[in-house]
Amino acid sequence: MSGRDQIPLLDVRNLTKYFAVRGGLLRRVVAQVRAVDGVSLSIGKGRTYGLVGESGCGKSTLGRAILRLHEPTSGEVLLDGHDILKLRRSELIDRRRRMQVIFQDPFASLSPRRTVAQIIREPLDVHRIGTAAEREERVIALLDDVGMGAEIRDRYPHEFSGGQRQRIGIARALALEPDFIVADEPVSALDVSVQSQVLNLIAGLKKTRGIAFLFISHDLAVIQHVSDEIGVMYLGRLVEHALVDDLYAAPKHPYTKALMSAIPIPDPKTKRSRIILKGDVPSPMNPPSGCPFHTRCPDVMEICRSVVPATINVGRKDLPHHVSCHLYS
Amino acid sequence: MSAVAIPAVRRESLWSKAAWKLARDRTGMIALAFVLLYMLVAVGVTAGWWAADWSEVRGGKWEAMSAAHWFGTNLIGQDIFARAVYSTKTAFEVGLVVAVLATVIGAALGAVAGFFNGSWIDEVLLWLMGVLDSIPFYLFVAAIVFAMQDNPYAMHIAMISTFWTSVGRLIRGEVIKLRGLEYVEAAHAISVPEFVIIIRHILPNTTHILLVQATIMFVSAIKSEVILSFLGLGVKDGMSWGLMIAESSQEVMAGFFNNFLAASVLMFGLVMAFNMFSDALQDALDPRKVG
Repeated sequence: MSGRDQIPLLDVRNLTKYFAVRGGLLRRVVAQVRAVDGVSLSIGKGRTYGLVGESGCGKSTLGRAILRLHEPTSGEVLLDGHDILKLRRSELIDRRRRMQVIFQDPFASLSPRRTVAQIIREPLDVHRIGTAAEREERVIALLDDVGMGAEIRDRYPHEFSGGQRQRIGIARALALEPDFIVADEPVSALDVSVQSQVLNLIAGLKKTRGIAFLFISHDLAVIQHVSDEIGVMYLGRLVEHALVDDLYAAPKHPYTKALMSAIPIPDPKTKRSRIILKGDVPSPMNPPSGCPFHTRCPDVMEICRSVVPATINVGRKDLPHHVSCHLYS
Repeated sequence: MSAVAIPAVRRESLWSKAAWKLARDRTGMIALAFVLLYMLVAVGVTAGWWAADWSEVRGGKWEAMSAAHWFGTNLIGQDIFARAVYSTKTAFEVGLVVAVLATVIGAALGAVAGFFNGSWIDEVLLWLMGVLDSIPFYLFVAAIVFAMQDNPYAMHIAMISTFWTSVGRLIRGEVIKLRGLEYVEAAHAISVPEFVIIIRHILPNTTHILLVQATIMFVSAIKSEVILSFLGLGVKDGMSWGLMIAESSQEVMAGFFNNFLAASVLMFGLVMAFNMFSDALQDALDPRKVG
């Protein structure tokens, strides 16, 4: 557990990403998609922050906005206390060495016309790390780190399975020795048997290299397995955040409760009331007034329809459990 | 490629796969043989091995086919076979120059437009393509030829400046698709410069479109050259199938078909062979077709 006084490695404050929807002949902005709407979170060194939510809730956009793969609309992203959103493109290049990303689709994340060695070497080439011979050695070492042999270095991505490709993608992310990796659904596209291998690989990297992860997933079992703390996202906002055991033992937000009740229990005798949410996720183009969850909330009150709930700490001071819900205010 | 001593693994690149697929396509290979034959003829003309005497008067008016003049002679006694063979060089020259330059320009501008999709650069390039597309082709060529009096490359320039737009649009669309793929995002994440991303990660994945487009434009350029030369807007000094057909327009009335037939048959053969080869190439380069 990290101490309270420690400066977090990554501190995201009030991050917002709106996508403009343009229409008409003059391509004027006709609407805004509020993909990420004022999210704050912090991740300590070597910690894994799990981010869960339904598809379309803005998890991936949040990950990409932190890395500035999508330019955020507003907010701050502090890496070791320095705001990377204020950096110019040229200054950003240096910071990028410390933040990398692993993607969901192992079939789209590797360039089909480049060999494994070329793919893993590219970050070293771009940042001019070492001599040519050292880079070659480094590629072999990285392949070894992700459990693959040197003999595959001249092969092409299409010759590998999904799990192997994901390992190659991880080797590329590790090449710059980052402190922080955004893992955007890294196992969702893999077979269950391969998922555990890749998850163990990631867990091992976290332990041996002390890399912090923002682990994005919609799979509650996976997220429980890998995370130290968890944030639950709904319609572009964080609705609940707590340490993993705390969250799974005592979820507070009605949305989190509904998610938890959907986890199957491998025991036919255990009975549990399943909370079924009504309707679909509202459009982020036209989010509901007040609490974004009020249209589907089983415990909805009058205040929820008009007032956005503030985020409050319902846990202990040294063991925070944040929730944005009027039930607790 | 690399000289590091790693146990040799059989490497099957996407290119060698496509080459194998093409080699097994019999129609495609026959078509390729014909194209290569034409190419050899064109190379020979350029090197001066044959048909160097295409402009010399070597016989009488409208001689019939004979051992001395395989396709007979024209109005002023020039050898039609030599002229037809010489025209192959003209066709290849026009086809190659136009296909290569129009593809390169189309690829470059299309890739830039697609990569900066949504910005003013894209808008400007789209507007330019729209303007060029909206001018009737022959009117445009005529305007350029008249404006560039006596320049032997006026026709080439006219064709290149209209043909590139179709490549440009296709590449723009493909780049917009590729740009959103995760390996391009991964390249951004490791700070690869944008120019390098276009060159290294995006354009190589559009080569299948470029190759096929280049073969299609090669054929269109040859056909356009014939029509333009027939109209007097094309080849000025030299000989081409179009000029031969123009010449024959008077002869056909008089019952002499040699000029017309020689030019048409040779052009038909080349265009047909190239079209079939381009079809086979398209099949071979399409990764979704298993063959």
